[in-house]
Amino acid sequence: MGILRWWSGLLLAFGLVAVLRMFVPLPFANEIMIFSIYTIGCNFLLGRVGLISFGQPAYLAVGAYAAAFYFYYYGTNPYVGILLGIAAGILVSLVVGPLFVRLRSDYFALVNLALAVIIFFLMQKVLANITHGDNGLWFLTSLSSTPVLDLTRPNQFFVFALLVGFAVWAFYKYLDDTVYGACCLGTKINEDKLRFLGYDSFRIRLLAFVIANTTTALAGAMYAVYLGFVSPEITSPARAADPVVVTILGGVGTLYGPLVGAIAYTGMKDVLSKALGNWELIIGFLLVFIMLAGERGIWGTLEPRLVGLWSSLWRRRSPAEGREM
Amino acid sequence: MVDLQLLFSSVVFGFSLGSIYFLLSIGLSLCFGLMRIISLDQLLYYSIGAYFAYSVGVLVDNFWLGVACGMAIGGLAGLAVERLVFLRIYERDITFSMITSFGILIGGIGVIKLFWGVVPRPVPVPIETQVSILDTEISVYRLVVIAIAGLVYVGILLFLNRTIIGKAIRAGIEDVEHVEGLGINVYRLFSITFIMAGALSALAGALHAPLIMVDPQMGLEVLAFAFMIVIIGGLGSIKGTLVSSLLVGQIVSIGSLIYAPLALMAPFAAMIVILLYRPTGLYGSPLLKR
Repeated sequence: MGILRWWSGLLLAFGLVAVLRMFVPLPFANEIMIFSIYTIGCNFLLGRVGLISFGQPAYLAVGAYAAAFYFYYYGTNPYVGILLGIAAGILVSLVVGPLFVRLRSDYFALVNLALAVIIFFLMQKVLANITHGDNGLWFLTSLSSTPVLDLTRPNQFFVFALLVGFAVWAFYKYLDDTVYGACCLGTKINEDKLRFLGYDSFRIRLLAFVIANTTTALAGAMYAVYLGFVSPEITSPARAADPVVVTILGGVGTLYGPLVGAIAYTGMKDVLSKALGNWELIIGFLLVFIMLAGERGIWGTLEPRLVGLWSSLWRRRSPAEGREM
Repeated sequence: MVDLQLLFSSVVFGFSLGSIYFLLSIGLSLCFGLMRIISLDQLLYYSIGAYFAYSVGVLVDNFWLGVACGMAIGGLAGLAVERLVFLRIYERDITFSMITSFGILIGGIGVIKLFWGVVPRPVPVPIETQVSILDTEISVYRLVVIAIAGLVYVGILLFLNRTIIGKAIRAGIEDVEHVEGLGINVYRLFSITFIMAGALSALAGALHAPLIMVDPQMGLEVLAFAFMIVIIGGLGSIKGTLVSSLLVGQIVSIGSLIYAPLALMAPFAAMIVILLYRPTGLYGSPLLKR
């Protein structure tokens, strides 16, 4: 029973996404899934460890380009590309992590954004003869189909993305329950006390950094497979705010916030930018508004109410049952 | 062997670039020092300054009037943003101000697109004469930019060291609560600092406008450099900002002389080396006080 309860929230959430799939066009559903996986890393860093990163596009690009290089120059199997993307994410986070996580939170944010810009320049100009600069790498037609879940078909890609998303969410939910998850929260709330208890805050942060950025790199590799091309645009400074905006829109530190945020953000982008054609204006002022309105986001505001509604329904029924007996 | 004349002209180029970077990041640095906020919207005032230099220049054909207009509007925009937004979030965590000001920056870019469109605009160079120093042709405009930045630096130092408001600001950078305890209205100090920062950022944008194309994304393009400068120099230190902006200017300029794509990567490498050596930058204070 306890196990069922642990999984019930996840099953409900992803069941709802699967239902949503019937009402929205397929590209939209795929975009939501990848975007929410992209965001959960940022959400974990900001909500659980207290590190804000404007540099998530850097790790997205690492995953995407690792997969793209493989598809363009070496092989065709989409699953191998995604695994390579994950491996590249782990590698890069392990290289830059020890340097970055010992910085103060404000410097951390600045350094990450600088890294994103540097990777943008690297891919656009410095490595232009490998990455083809702004034209990007195109490999949509060269991907080979795989027997069980054929990732070259958007339809089956969605099933794959849903499964991956489910696994990622289950992993983050599991992290929240472990001692390690509590330690992460500890580094955010009171690092001195945590150190006093004998934990190494540097290692906790480093692991969190690697976990979050590997998830982001996974999303990048999935983008590469799904879109069939990768260009430096993926890490442009103008998009650096996207994951932070979605995190805050959904609700910082909540488990389902990134999912809700991704749905709301992608939906708004689709509807509003078509109507107004000026996306920056909307997203900028929306961000300021949410921050001033109390930074709890959509899911952060809804969740306590839903829980309250649920428990009040439950309570109202229980005495009635008691009376019948 | 690098050509000496080429080297000299690129050193001058580096100084002029560094001067613009200095004017741009001094606002970021001052706001952090006094108010403990990271004010990314400075890059918006930078774009505003450039756009006013362009528009007024087209209207009345006087670049320097455009610079003055841009500075005034930049300062006013800074004041408005401070009153409307930052006043509510001074007490909050530092990341909070960072996210909010990023929102202002992005939203402001949207507003700029609304008024001026997305097409890049050229601004003519106001002083086209060249002088010959050490057998090298140097554009006078670049020398003027360097001189203006030098004047601003001296002006800021005099303001902070000689006037009572400046002394209060300097004391506020050390310890805001004690200044408040002395009966000084710190929120007025905050407003003054914000106006100053906004005007200086706009000045940077206006002076940079003839050297590049003015387009809505220009704030985001220099964002990484402004960041690297305040990180290398240490947040909140004026001297550190000057040293690191001149350093980054030279690295970009001489780096592009050696190998062009290197110019954009080298400041980042310098930043990493300096952060390894000192995690709070060259002149940054080791502790976050508030």
